[in-house]
Amino acid sequence: MRSFSILFDAIVFGTILLALYAVFMYVPGERQMGAVQRIFYFHVPAAMTAFLAYAFVFIASIQYLRTKEVRWDMVARISAELGVLFSIIVLMTGPLWAKPIWGVYWRWEPRLTSMLITFTMYVAYLMLRSYSTSSQEGTSRIAAVMGIIAFINVPFVYFSVQLWAPEQQLHPRSVELEPQMVHARYICTVAVMIFFLYLLKRRLEQEKFALRLERLRTLIGNPS
Amino acid sequence: MSFAADSITILQKDLRIEWRRKERLTPMVFFVLLVLLVFNFSFELGGPSVRNIGAGVLWSAFVFASLLGLNRTFAVERHNDTMDALRLAPVSGASLFAGKVAGNFLFLAAVELIGLPIFALFFNLAPGLYLLPLGVVLFLGSICLAAVGTFFAAVSDQSRLQDLMLPLLVIPVVVPALISCVEATDLVLAQSGLAMGTFKWVPGLWRHMQMLVVYAVVFMTISLMLFDYVIEE
Repeated sequence: MRSFSILFDAIVFGTILLALYAVFMYVPGERQMGAVQRIFYFHVPAAMTAFLAYAFVFIASIQYLRTKEVRWDMVARISAELGVLFSIIVLMTGPLWAKPIWGVYWRWEPRLTSMLITFTMYVAYLMLRSYSTSSQEGTSRIAAVMGIIAFINVPFVYFSVQLWAPEQQLHPRSVELEPQMVHARYICTVAVMIFFLYLLKRRLEQEKFALRLERLRTLIGNPS
Repeated sequence: MSFAADSITILQKDLRIEWRRKERLTPMVFFVLLVLLVFNFSFELGGPSVRNIGAGVLWSAFVFASLLGLNRTFAVERHNDTMDALRLAPVSGASLFAGKVAGNFLFLAAVELIGLPIFALFFNLAPGLYLLPLGVVLFLGSICLAAVGTFFAAVSDQSRLQDLMLPLLVIPVVVPALISCVEATDLVLAQSGLAMGTFKWVPGLWRHMQMLVVYAVVFMTISLMLFDYVIEE
């Protein structure tokens, strides 16, 4: 188990180094946009990873309601935290890229708007957990319900925002990329997703320790 | 008892409480009036502005007022310690939910029926047949708001923040429906220049109404499925 853990750490470190090399050394500069276009290699993978994390929340929430096993609840909560984290990365790298290209930091453009609305749903999910008065089990159950509803709402958000302002669409629907750019995009997507799994794994370990500590404390009669 | 009969019993109970205490409808209607009053200071209400900002103002007033009323859905049970009685009652969670949604829908519809003339008065909106589709939009929008709102009222009731938590949960989730409500209302109000007796169907309305129907059906279904988990103790 321990050697697997070290191997995984090494893989994460390696892929991130490889991704950085690909973005800053391997890929040619974009002709029109210049250096700022390199944000793309973090921006798009972060967006994909955020939705991967939200899908994790959805699946773990369903599993929790079915099995009532604490570990599913942990996976749901940590995935939501990480989903929000990666959404923040998307929402911050977006404006940095948008300013030189679109001329403004923010446009109420369909994809940007949907990302923001999705982000607010999962922040609400985390707040629901923090401010709950229910027991541990009750909190997990209510949160699981919200985790399911939020994910089902994602396609609605996308569709309705398209309906609202289709003429505002600024994100390209498909892009022609140089072969090197395609390679770099794949490497970065894999690197960011592996990084997400790494963070998930570490947070899970941390939570398990916290749970064990709590049990030990109850055992010796010191519940603080 | 059947699902429908149970739901109607719950609805009757809530309506009776409201009839005796009048603690939901009156504050909600008054709140709509206050929101319109406040908007008046930021925007020039009346005249052509109804076509630019009317839909946004109208729906902001309705959504805020509805959140006020939705908060009472389960708070009234908590204050009277009757939530356990409802859990023990031989009714399913789904019929409890359906009854509460029906109640909230009626309150919202009443607020809209009273609020719309006030809005029309402040905006100098001429009455006419062109407003007919607005009725459908308000009907569908209220169903969506009542379904999502009732569900999250039960959820936020288990939060320390209670009243504060409800808007944080409802607004992001209901945004897709709200967008269609505002856009459709916008399309209707854009015709306010028409003569009183003329009616013209706006083609764009159809898409928004479809969106609202799909949203309402999907959310009612999911909520009915998940509501038992929310009230479980």
